[in-house]
Amino acid sequence: MITWPPLLALLIAVPMTSAVLTPAIARGSARRAFWWALAVMSVASIIAAMLIIRVSHEGPFSYVVGGWVAPYGIELRFDEFSAAIAIICLLGTLAIIFSKEYVTHAIAEPRIPYYYTLLLLNLMAMIGFTVTGDLFNLFVFMEILSLSGYALVAVSGERIAEMAAFKYLVMGAVSSLLVLFSIGLLYALTGSLNMADVAERLDGAAAAPLAVAFACITLGFMVKSAVFPLHVWLPDAHAIAPSPISAVLSGLVVKVGIIGMLRVYQIAYSSGAVDMTGLNTVLMWLGAISIVMGAFFAVFQDDIKLMLAYSTISNIGYIVMGLGLASTYGVIGASVHVFNHALIKATLFLGAGAIIHQTGKRTLSDLAGVGRAMPFTVAAISIGAISIVGIPPTAGFLCKWYIALGAMQAGRPFFAFALVFGALFIFIYYIRMVNAFYFQKPKDPSILEVHEAPATMLGPTLLLAALCLVMGVFGRLPLSFIEPAVNRLLAPLGGG
Amino acid sequence: MLQDLWHNLDYAASVVLFCIGLYTVITKSNLIKKFMGLNIMETSVFAFIVALGVVDGGDAPIMGAGAEAPFINPLPQALILTGIVVAVSTTALALSLIIRIWKQTGTIEADELRGME
Repeated sequence: MITWPPLLALLIAVPMTSAVLTPAIARGSARRAFWWALAVMSVASIIAAMLIIRVSHEGPFSYVVGGWVAPYGIELRFDEFSAAIAIICLLGTLAIIFSKEYVTHAIAEPRIPYYYTLLLLNLMAMIGFTVTGDLFNLFVFMEILSLSGYALVAVSGERIAEMAAFKYLVMGAVSSLLVLFSIGLLYALTGSLNMADVAERLDGAAAAPLAVAFACITLGFMVKSAVFPLHVWLPDAHAIAPSPISAVLSGLVVKVGIIGMLRVYQIAYSSGAVDMTGLNTVLMWLGAISIVMGAFFAVFQDDIKLMLAYSTISNIGYIVMGLGLASTYGVIGASVHVFNHALIKATLFLGAGAIIHQTGKRTLSDLAGVGRAMPFTVAAISIGAISIVGIPPTAGFLCKWYIALGAMQAGRPFFAFALVFGALFIFIYYIRMVNAFYFQKPKDPSILEVHEAPATMLGPTLLLAALCLVMGVFGRLPLSFIEPAVNRLLAPLGGG
Repeated sequence: MLQDLWHNLDYAASVVLFCIGLYTVITKSNLIKKFMGLNIMETSVFAFIVALGVVDGGDAPIMGAGAEAPFINPLPQALILTGIVVAVSTTALALSLIIRIWKQTGTIEADELRGME
């Protein structure tokens, strides 16, 4: 038995204090701010790696903040689902590296340290959200995350950036209030805020307020993750933000809603006091509709970043559908897709960002033929496109396969059909993109003279593209890692 | 039924406030009014949670000479203190966004802004 240092507390404390110190340390220099942010994320990544090694050996463990034993104090809890911090640290580090050259053109130098501050705060809050075991703490991290997210959307200073950020803020604030309201209700019903403790005390609580609490909290998280009818804030916000931020928002921030839902499910299933069948049916249908509608809107976009933003809605649809199916394969597929979609979407957004940065153009028709000028970036984007459609042997295939298996396992083959149908739609618009980049005649011959992106942009993009392939080949690793957690989650349902 | 409502008047009031706020957010076109609606919603949730901790005839839980049970529950108030801080920062950010929208476009009416995109 090894005694581990209190890594879980450091995981939150180090990035949080470092984030707010950034402007003081950078003293107006973009270079110092960059190296500082990179150092912070490296430390966080190392801590995250150690924690994941520990959880794979020992199973879930907790840290008691300030020595106040749970359920009285705040408990930080690390389980297999919390391993999502791996992708948060990886993507965060790569987004910071990508930002080095990217933001010098987008933002005035004295303001760059604040950009890194916001980005670090955003990543820190996401880490905190993933590992906390306390409902109110969950809300606080969600708010830090959302506020820094709204601000990051607006930093690009483009014409409609503020409007997009405001739209995001209004939707986000309403959803946060729904979550806070439900947390209040749960506290009223159980007298506790600790998730595990709430689950134990739910038995015998009045059915009607309980149903309201679970409905509101799920609704709130559905707005955060942009499930179909609640997605209206997403396309503008994700398309207008600077590309590294788009990658973080699309790859990670929308997943916060999913992780929140997973936590709600953990409470609901293990207490057995709430009947989730109705909610599951709603999630399944909304997931299926999101897949098809997201793909449908994306087909008609000419702006590459808008297209990618709509594709996020489809992919969230896959994850939500997997959760709603509530079968072992479905939930495993959904949880791994949280990870894999983040990889894939980051590849695509960083690739698109590199192209936009080099050419100054962002529509498919203007970018025709860019593949000849920027072969590496476009190759990375093509790998991302293949992955997101779900063609083997790439990262997207395994999760979608598992979710389809989950639909069969739950006795709902229709949803497997919806999944394949959606994938076909997605195939159409990504083929359109790859076709335009490689095979169409350039509209403006000057596009052939642009140079390949600088190393700080190309490196992260290529690394992510490579990871898309690697995760396709070694896809069993995350699947078998998450399996015990999913089995534990679904065990009260009778073996799933 | 009516008696139940009377006994839980504080909760009913916060639900009504929440709905008024939501209505304002959805129907008003002026961004500042939209945001005021959001503030009303925030206040309603805060009031709801603070009301949770109230005990009839309860005292503030400050220990010392003359402290007598029953006490009200201080935890919801502590939580809402945090909640208010969050609400203030949201308001500050939203107002600064509105100022920048005004500087760039000269209007803060959502329907006119939609026409400009």
